[in-house]
Amino acid sequence: MSFSILAFRKKLPRKVEIGLGITGFLLFLLTWQLIAVSGAIRPEFLPTPVSVAEAFVRLFTERDFASDIVISVRRVWLAFLLSVAVAVPLGLLMSTYRAVGALLEPFVDFVRYLPVPALVPLLVIWFGVGEASKLAVLWMGTFFQLILLIADDTKRVPVEFIESGHTLGASNGQIMRDIIIPAALPNMVDNLRITLGWCWTYLIIAEIVAANSGIGHMIWSLRRFVKTPEVMAGIIAIGIIGLLTDQAFRYAHARWFKYLHR
Amino acid sequence: MQNFIEISDVSKTYWSEDGKTETKVVLPLSMTIAEGEMVMFLGPSGCGKTTLMRIIGGLETQDHGEIHLQGERLAGPDRRRGMVFQSYSSFPWLSVRDNIKFGTRYRKDISAQEKEEVTDHYMNMVGLTRYADFYTNRISGGMRQRVAIARTLASSPKVLLMDEPFGALDAQTREYLQLQLMDINAREKKTTVFVTHDVEEAILLASRIVIFSSRPARIVKEIRVDDLIPPESRRDGSLDMETFMALRADILKIIRAEYAHTLEDT
Ligand SMILES: Nc1ncnc2c1ncn2[C@@H]1O[C@H](COP(=O)(O)OP(=O)(O)OP(=O)(O)O)[C@@H](O)[C@H]1O
Ligand SMILES: [Mg+2]
Repeated sequence: MSFSILAFRKKLPRKVEIGLGITGFLLFLLTWQLIAVSGAIRPEFLPTPVSVAEAFVRLFTERDFASDIVISVRRVWLAFLLSVAVAVPLGLLMSTYRAVGALLEPFVDFVRYLPVPALVPLLVIWFGVGEASKLAVLWMGTFFQLILLIADDTKRVPVEFIESGHTLGASNGQIMRDIIIPAALPNMVDNLRITLGWCWTYLIIAEIVAANSGIGHMIWSLRRFVKTPEVMAGIIAIGIIGLLTDQAFRYAHARWFKYLHR
Repeated sequence: MQNFIEISDVSKTYWSEDGKTETKVVLPLSMTIAEGEMVMFLGPSGCGKTTLMRIIGGLETQDHGEIHLQGERLAGPDRRRGMVFQSYSSFPWLSVRDNIKFGTRYRKDISAQEKEEVTDHYMNMVGLTRYADFYTNRISGGMRQRVAIARTLASSPKVLLMDEPFGALDAQTREYLQLQLMDINAREKKTTVFVTHDVEEAILLASRIVIFSSRPARIVKEIRVDDLIPPESRRDGSLDMETFMALRADILKIIRAEYAHTLEDT
């Protein structure tokens, strides 16, 4: 196995990459531990990694954290899928038919710049404090971004691909199904992965403001008792879920689009 | 000879975004192409060759004039006119074989079994059988262009339109593909319009060369190469070099004169 870690943009052996990833985490934990035991910061503010790990276990054994996770994951995926279901077809149409693009683009751009947290009070007035308002916050936060990302992905399909389709005798529908979608799909999947990450940000905002369940709600209620280790454990749980989802997406990407992965 | 393709008084003007300045690209232009002809378009850069070819292919609409194929008026692109682009247009998510097979996808004139046969036939013809399972982003530019040619042939167009298909390739690959195309042409007698900047390529491949003026394109000269240098002699390399060089010099002179106009314009 011969490789250089200094070569620009060259892939490293898989084992080395995983090793480096783990080292990154260990370095973070080590730094954290050193700062925590140095006494420079009071433990109420910065507990040690070990006490956070203990709190992590306590969350599950004493506070039924697992059901909060299930609730949050369900909210995220439900809102995400609702957003995808509308944004993907609309994004495709927007980039394919100039008329749809001209109709929607300015409006989508306008809404996209509205800060979602500022919309939360309004959404709570409209949808109450139940599930609907949470879904609405997540949907607002992702839909208008996603539709533009999808439109961009489809716009980047080379015009020669589409024109080849025309001269090979494909109808518009066939060009969409057999050329535009397969050509844009890898980038779309990447953008879905990124959008799903944003869902978590908006979820926590939604759960902090108006919820009596979910990870965000749990974190926010523990804060009142200055349970810093539990609060940090909750945040770390979100990180772990995010990391796992992200890895699953990357794995699927590599499986589905072999031609892009050497 | 029967008029296979008839271009009558076709013209095209591009307008700038603000609609204030016009660029006349193709003058009212007429020409006919017979079945089985290999017509090479030569002319100064920017004169409108690509535009005219795209109009023939239905990918661009002319302002005036008509194009008929076998007596039928053409409007918009379809499978009767296959296009090979200068840039690589093979689909990276498909293997070499699946790319070529894509050419047969929308054909209703042959069975599924025949589609497989046609695919293998053209894959073999362009010499890519060994690379059947390679994705096209894993093969060289020359191979990709062969994939594009095979894919277009597999769709069985009546007319093959090629816009500088070998423009981005190195000299050796280009020469190899020229020989392959001469071969295919001799066998299939496919009516072809081919745009190039390479005068030698034009003489080698053409049954007829059409030289265009600087923009707006007008035909300055037509040369029936088949009458001067027999096609077989070009294929087997036994051609008379003196005739070849003289023809080359003539053509270059015309193009240089036209190119000078281009420079005066700007
Ligand atoms: N879509 C367009 N909008 C505006 N002008 C265009 C467009 N396409 C081409 N033109 C202009 O039309 C003229 C002819 O272009 P065309 O591509 O047909 O030339 P060409 O003969 O193929 O040139 P080259 O040999 O460099 O490929 C050029 O001046 C070009 O700038
Ligand atoms: Mg051109």
